[in-house]
Amino acid sequence: MRGDEPGWQLRRVFRLPSTRARAGTLVDEELRFHLEGRVEELMARGLGRDEAAAEARRRFGDTDSYRRATAAIDEQIIQEQRRMDVFDVVTRETRQAVRSLARSKGFTLTAVSTLALALGAATAIFTMLYAVVIRPLPYHDADRLVALSSPVPKFKGDTLWGLARHEIFYFKQNSRALADIGVYQNDQLTVSGTGPDRPAERVRAARASANLFNVLGISAELGRTLLPDDNRERQGSVLVLGHDYWVQRFGGDRGIVGRTIDVGGFPMTVVGVVPASAQLPDLRIDVWAPAYVYAEQPAYNNHTWNGVGRLRAGFTAADAQRELVPLTQRLPELFPQAESRKFLESTGFYTQVRPMRDVVVGEVMTRALWILFGSVLIVLLIAAANLSNLFLVRIDARRREIALRAALGAGRMRLVIHALTESTLIALAAGVLAVGLAAAGLRILLTVAPTELPRLAEVHLGAAGVAFAAGSALLVALALGLLPSLGASTLDLSPLRDGGRGMTTSRRRHAVRSALVVSQVALSLVLITAAGLMVHSFRNLRAVRPGFDPTGVLTMTVALPEGRFGSRNDRDVGSYERTSALYEQLAERVRSLPGVMAVGFSEKIPLASGFLCTGVNIEGADPTRTRGACPPTALVSPGFFEAMGIRLDGRTPSWSGMDQHDGAMVVSRAFAESTWPDETAFGKGLKYYGSTPPFYRVAGIATDILGDGYDQPPVAIAYFPMLPIPGAILWGAPTGMHLVVRTRSGNPIALASGIRRMVTELEPQAAITNVETMDALVAKSMARRTFTMLLLGVAATMALLLSVVGLYGVISYVVGQRRGEIAIRMALGARMAQVGRTVVGQSVRLAALGVVLGLVGALASLRVLRSLLFGVSPTNPPLMAGAALLLLVVAAVAGYAPARRAARVDPAEALRSE
Amino acid sequence: MPAPPELELLRGTLDLLILRTLSWAPMHGLAVLRWIESATRERLQIEEGALYPALHRMEQKGWLGAEWGYTDQGRQAKFYRLTAAGKRQLAAEVSKWTRYTETVGFLLAAEPAP
Repeated sequence: MRGDEPGWQLRRVFRLPSTRARAGTLVDEELRFHLEGRVEELMARGLGRDEAAAEARRRFGDTDSYRRATAAIDEQIIQEQRRMDVFDVVTRETRQAVRSLARSKGFTLTAVSTLALALGAATAIFTMLYAVVIRPLPYHDADRLVALSSPVPKFKGDTLWGLARHEIFYFKQNSRALADIGVYQNDQLTVSGTGPDRPAERVRAARASANLFNVLGISAELGRTLLPDDNRERQGSVLVLGHDYWVQRFGGDRGIVGRTIDVGGFPMTVVGVVPASAQLPDLRIDVWAPAYVYAEQPAYNNHTWNGVGRLRAGFTAADAQRELVPLTQRLPELFPQAESRKFLESTGFYTQVRPMRDVVVGEVMTRALWILFGSVLIVLLIAAANLSNLFLVRIDARRREIALRAALGAGRMRLVIHALTESTLIALAAGVLAVGLAAAGLRILLTVAPTELPRLAEVHLGAAGVAFAAGSALLVALALGLLPSLGASTLDLSPLRDGGRGMTTSRRRHAVRSALVVSQVALSLVLITAAGLMVHSFRNLRAVRPGFDPTGVLTMTVALPEGRFGSRNDRDVGSYERTSALYEQLAERVRSLPGVMAVGFSEKIPLASGFLCTGVNIEGADPTRTRGACPPTALVSPGFFEAMGIRLDGRTPSWSGMDQHDGAMVVSRAFAESTWPDETAFGKGLKYYGSTPPFYRVAGIATDILGDGYDQPPVAIAYFPMLPIPGAILWGAPTGMHLVVRTRSGNPIALASGIRRMVTELEPQAAITNVETMDALVAKSMARRTFTMLLLGVAATMALLLSVVGLYGVISYVVGQRRGEIAIRMALGARMAQVGRTVVGQSVRLAALGVVLGLVGALASLRVLRSLLFGVSPTNPPLMAGAALLLLVVAAVAGYAPARRAARVDPAEALRSE
Repeated sequence: MPAPPELELLRGTLDLLILRTLSWAPMHGLAVLRWIESATRERLQIEEGALYPALHRMEQKGWLGAEWGYTDQGRQAKFYRLTAAGKRQLAAEVSKWTRYTETVGFLLAAEPAP
């Protein structure tokens, strides 16, 4: 052993090599030390320098490869070490941040809960938006599905007709963009009862073309789907079951294929089962029946088929739309018996192609959800602004500590990392809480969400929601963490000077804080105004008089088995008599129930039925000038108008009159006025088939009803008796009438079970569905607005509260900072009230600035609400003034508490503590 | 010049030699080699360069700690010392080595039964 090994004085010369180059250099040095040591040693034994060097190198071996091998190991060591270092820093900083956050519990709790609430709200709404709007429809290549329909803007504004059957085949043959077009109609079928435990039931059915399954990408899980030949039968004799209905009604029996079941008195053979995922874009379907649609049918102006197109790869909905414009224009030429040129011109008829997703969700609901999402993002921004203020105050409070750490050599980076760690911890905690809050919030949301909202059942907090919460939390963390470097471009050591206050930085931070509060107030104003507009709309809507009286009214659909009551022939008088007689008996029995004031039946009821039109002929109309009229029509029974609370002028239809074929009918006032503008409508004649007597005679004129919704124009409707007069047959016996019962009771739904029993006694195979009070239907028709209003209200309230807290925080802080100044002023004789006024004034001034900015913002942005509003303009001066006043008052209140504290300052004590 | 070494280093024994050497005191690489030479009476033939990848690998494994320091002559050199993990490794390797030589010894001493 040589003398240089033990007793060495270890001095740390280098820290670990930090770069590759440096690692290589160190290995070089180590090896050179070795070789030089050897050379010296060999020379000491008498060798010459060159000889010694050669011998040393020989003993060492391949210097280069050993050097490389060694350096490679060092590189690995460096990398490991670096990972360890990062880990160390993270654990150390985290531990430190946890400790410092735990010390200031008030700050931590406020920050976490504020952020968690705002983030939770945003996550919940985002989840809804994602599930309903953003997520693709559950079909193969769903973005290639389009909806085809026929708007008739000049005939009736928002109404969309479907495709006529000849159009389906004509478009399919002549379009390059569309690979295929499938069609369907929604229908309801009665699956007959098979015993007391399996009563007759009404099921949601789609009458579909065979190729609809290909277009939607649905294949059978058992048996087959529909075949083109199935579409050639007028009534249809086969059925495809949906998975869920198959399980519910038939216990998932795999032997179902080939079995015949009784549907409304007709035998139908089950040919297959489709998976649970197989649904119409906008409706869950229990059974699929064949549509009566095939290419060789004569063209007919009957636009009733919902079209679903599949685009060829590379084509868009707009391409298809461009193609269909000239194709539609040629319809009168090719199918003169269906669509005349005059029909096209007078109705503005055209064929519309829209991406299926837009149709399913609907423009208004899409917009509403985006608006709601925007509003919760605003709340999140406001909450983040509050947090920023909290952080700034905290940083100011710790100015001395931070300055001290800086002076002791903590780099700027270290301080930023420290702040980032704190903000990340808070954001993470808030994020976790937010996910929980969002899950709970969603459950509440779903109970108030409009049931018409598609895909609502599929809304649940999933990966997308969690990712959103995490992403937003991290963004907030980043913003808050970088805040301290704001307005502190150089490390500020001035707090360390005796009594020094670092006024420049502090003043800059104060400006930042004020700006944050001003923007909070501005954003709040926008939200409060938006919520106010919704409340206003809602009030306007509730004040609308719908033409019927929904209070105490129970409705339900009583579907009679078509096989026995209906007929395949519209003109079969017997079928009308059978149905009418049964409904009359039922009406009589129901009338005997306690509390019942009136009972009637109608083919259509407001807010639940679609009021599409039926072509009818007007007595004495000049056929060269008018092709008759196309009003919405309904077959009704006597008693319907009393039960629905629709006021009538003239004669009210009576059972005895109807049974004796008195031909009395009722039209709504709008229909009467538009059809016979210059004369009285009483006594005028209408009929369905033909234009020769006998006619139905207008005996009563009814108040117009808002059948399509309280925000829609009234329906100009013609009511025909459900029992037609001989020689003026109608469009088929109504086997699915809606029973309408007016009661004195506050809870009309309680009558339902009694009525159900009566129906079963009269006709065991009758099915009852849609048991609903009119009040509930009204609420449902407004659900979209109610929902938007509620959520905007919640967002606005949160915004308001957060802004108040923000204002209060800043004013309190300012008062705290100015204690000395206030004390001096009080010592110089300022009165308490004056001091208080100054403080409150400051709060109000900040708010006023925010209000002005907010008004500008509201004017610029609230136009997006237009389609959701009713009877109120997006720029509503009184409402905006109200919101502005509210914020100013609230600002004054927020300033009041700090003002009182300021006014109580004891000058002597305050100055002493300075 | 010393007599040429007679024995080639058996595979895997270099680690053992280094650990044992450093168990006496922290040393730099050249000192480790000199110690091995003198302790084995220069009978082992070691390619000196092989020492360094071995040292660094053992440093990576945590058996050795290393720091740059000054020799008594005031020259900078990288010093290695045994860590606690290194001491445990040494003990394990020593017992493995002893069992190995013992076992081989049994065989060499064994004779067929008469």
